[in-house]
Amino acid sequence: MEATVLDSWVLAEFETPDVLVDATRQMREKGFQGMDTYSPYPLHGGSEALGLPPSKVPFIALCGGLTGLTTALAMQTWMNTYDYPLNIGGRPLLSLPAWVPITFELSVLFAAFGIFFGLLGLSRLPQPYHPVFESEAFRTASTHGYWLSVPHATGQDASAVIDQLKALGATQVTVVTGEKE
Amino acid sequence: MGQTAATAPLDPLEPRDLVAPHHDDKSLNETLLDHVWRKPGKGWFMLFGLTLSALGLLVIGVTYTLARGIGVWGNNQPVGWAFDIINFVWWVGIGHAGTLISAILLLFQQKWRTSINRFAEAMTLFAVMCAGLFPLLHTGRPWFAFWLFPYPSTLGAWPQFRSPLVWDVFAISTYLTVSALFWFVGLIPDLAALRDSSKTKLQRTIYGLFALGWRGSGRHWHNYKIAYLLLAGLSTPLVVSVHTIVSFDFAVSLLPGWHATIFPPYFVAGAVFSGFAMVITLIVPARKYLGLRDVITDRHLENMNKVILATGLIVSYGYMMEHFVAWYSQNQYELWTFYVNRATGPYAGVYWLMIACNVITPNIFWFKKCRTSIPIMWVASIAVNIGMWCERFIIIVTSLSQDFLPSSWGIYSPTWVDWCIYIGTLGLFGTLFLLFLKFVPAVAISEVKELQLELKHARHNSHGAH
Repeated sequence: MEATVLDSWVLAEFETPDVLVDATRQMREKGFQGMDTYSPYPLHGGSEALGLPPSKVPFIALCGGLTGLTTALAMQTWMNTYDYPLNIGGRPLLSLPAWVPITFELSVLFAAFGIFFGLLGLSRLPQPYHPVFESEAFRTASTHGYWLSVPHATGQDASAVIDQLKALGATQVTVVTGEKE
Repeated sequence: MGQTAATAPLDPLEPRDLVAPHHDDKSLNETLLDHVWRKPGKGWFMLFGLTLSALGLLVIGVTYTLARGIGVWGNNQPVGWAFDIINFVWWVGIGHAGTLISAILLLFQQKWRTSINRFAEAMTLFAVMCAGLFPLLHTGRPWFAFWLFPYPSTLGAWPQFRSPLVWDVFAISTYLTVSALFWFVGLIPDLAALRDSSKTKLQRTIYGLFALGWRGSGRHWHNYKIAYLLLAGLSTPLVVSVHTIVSFDFAVSLLPGWHATIFPPYFVAGAVFSGFAMVITLIVPARKYLGLRDVITDRHLENMNKVILATGLIVSYGYMMEHFVAWYSQNQYELWTFYVNRATGPYAGVYWLMIACNVITPNIFWFKKCRTSIPIMWVASIAVNIGMWCERFIIIVTSLSQDFLPSSWGIYSPTWVDWCIYIGTLGLFGTLFLLFLKFVPAVAISEVKELQLELKHARHNSHGAH
């Protein structure tokens, strides 16, 4: 089956991270939507230039941590107090201080899973194929290249976008097309 | 000879010499990825052969133990815990430096961590794997180890959650999982870099699979930065809790020599102490043979030696407190354990070796000359590792072998199976480490690049100010 071409991106490489952040901000001020930057390490001011809302990862982590906390307390209380009570020297069956270590460990464990899977989910990973990988030049994005992608509808003329990117200091510009994610 | 401007001491807070300044992103790639693409040399294969042979000893020791039962170990009555618990605590402790370097130094924004964190985290993972083997084998029937976890079984029984040994199970498995997640999250951008600079299709596919399709998107970094920081924030109390819980295995009992409230902090400090020593032991040869001197500078080594000095002093304080409390309580069993049995008893040799390695050795790092001398710090780090092993031996064996009733005293000595398993875990650790050095960048490349950019900005600004 032939893949349907749904969208295309203009990819532009910039010389330094600072130029890239600057160009991103200016393009966004011009009204371009859904842009993305690509760099081997986080750009300072990159999130602000893209106008991203605060990350949801901390919230997911908190939910994970609270789930772990409740699970651990409920599990220990039910198992050792009601379902399988062990009387050892008459010590209290419901002894919260003894529940502390496992409650702490499970809170941390669930929070860590929340962070990890939250990160993957919010970033839509794993995603082994993405149209931008079609561009051979784009391979520098993970090592020493600083790229900006500007989505634009198929069939429209990309040259206007390309000209604007070049005016902002892009050293090379390519166009990739592919299925929308 | 007056000091010239060029040799004037630098502001200690300025991260000036953390990355050799002549590097840019491209040359950093070449330097840091080089050892992955290069064919391993003769030295690597020789070491690999050595660690594989040691790993063979582990196979022999474990097979024999499984076939005959743990009676083949030197453990006896009254010393029911011996090599297995000593090595367990020792390995877990070594693992802690990795998390500390990665997590605590990240939270404190200590820039010098970036060059060594990957290395140290790998060490954590492998050390915890080795540690886990010991309690597992000590259960006698490791194929029933899942009984320790709360699962709905037909036996209708649940684990006893008031037992420190069940706390241990949760602490260690959480620690291993979170360390692995932390390590892998830190590795993703570098796996993408490996994918994109690979030369063959096979390499590209394999690294591509592990990189999960990472493309350094601004939206990804946006979530990534906070996720990494949060994982670090979680790991920090986790380290403290894990070794605290390990120390509870001893401290909640009533045995003289174990029943001490100083144990949790003293165990945590000891763990950091031995962990940092292990980092030095491994990093000194590795940075030479991998050509990483530009990113793991002498300054890094000196800083680590300072941590060793500080934690060594805390450990010495722990010893002092143990002895002081024994004297202050005037409890005859405690007095016997600390002032007679440990210092002059059958294991006095190990005790004095412990004092020499853990109390005296770190003090050489008061002198800058020792802190910066490669041979001295390497030998000292090995001494610290030996000393910390002796400490665990002393705590466990002296307390168990001679406790309250002289009629139930006994002497412990390890058998060849004990030694096989111990040396075998060293082999397992070494094997995993060498594979890590071969297939994954030993230094967190993306973080070093980010740091390099920051340093450039800082340099630029300070020149502008003068």
